[in-house]
Amino acid sequence: MDEPITAPVEKSGSRSMGVLTRIVRIVGWTSIVVGLLILGFVVQQLFVTTWFSQQHQEALSEEAEEHFATAEVTEVEYIPPTSAGNPGEVTVNPDGTVTPGAGGSTTDDGAPLVPEKRTLLVESTPENGTAFAVIRIPTIERLEEGWTVVEGVELRNLKNGAGHMPHTPLPGMPGNSVISGHRTTYGAPFHEVGDLVPGDVIEVDTAIGTHTYEVREVIVVQPTELWVTEPREGSWLTLTTCHPKFSARQRLIVFAELVDGPNWEAIYA
Amino acid sequence: MKQWFLGLPGPMALKVVMAVVAVLVGLVALFFFYDWIGANMLDSGGTIG
Repeated sequence: MDEPITAPVEKSGSRSMGVLTRIVRIVGWTSIVVGLLILGFVVQQLFVTTWFSQQHQEALSEEAEEHFATAEVTEVEYIPPTSAGNPGEVTVNPDGTVTPGAGGSTTDDGAPLVPEKRTLLVESTPENGTAFAVIRIPTIERLEEGWTVVEGVELRNLKNGAGHMPHTPLPGMPGNSVISGHRTTYGAPFHEVGDLVPGDVIEVDTAIGTHTYEVREVIVVQPTELWVTEPREGSWLTLTTCHPKFSARQRLIVFAELVDGPNWEAIYA
Repeated sequence: MKQWFLGLPGPMALKVVMAVVAVLVGLVALFFFYDWIGANMLDSGGTIG
């Protein structure tokens, strides 16, 4: 009958403390696990992917050198779209006669104007995944020595190197050659392309030779703005990468125009 | 973790092998998960379209 009336209260308090301790322990362990997972993500994305990319680059560099030595380069006749005669509308018939297009293309006396033909060096389109070019940007330390470019812009291509967008011309050809690359992971070849300013030089080695481009414009667009890949008059190189750094929300675009190289004269002179 | 390990079937050697295999599978799955998140949120490679 002398039972202390405080005993049940003490048991209840101790039970509450036990529950609290358990909650703190669960929250603590959860935080540690989540922290380790995030740390693992950062390490994997920034260091492991770069290590993998560097291994691939070493192999691809040799593959590109081999491609330069063995690729078949041919000479084709080229008629610049801007040349006299508006060749885009001119048809050269099998018998050698020339039919002017609907837009005119005739001399003052009505004769068909024969456009000036030039010789363009062309290499065949490489197979998907093939290392076929090296891009160099002297003003960017990471790209001073060059980064190998592979054909294709699928995820697996871009893990190995910068990727040339299929269905756009190869570097050094007339039109708009598009090359994409990672900005923060997989070696981040295009990490500093945002620092490029008009006038900076970009060099691309292919089996044909070294094509030198000059930066004309650097812009930011949405990932769906396909117009940046559309054909352009002359010979252009368009670099695309993610923007801002550490985000895939937008795209940084660098437009550069050919200023020197084996095909410059045929395209611009 | 200890309970999970001890709950694995078979003798101790088999438990160890199963645990190692489970950890390796987990790490590989985590690697692909990281890769997927990275490609979709951090850096897709800069492709257009």
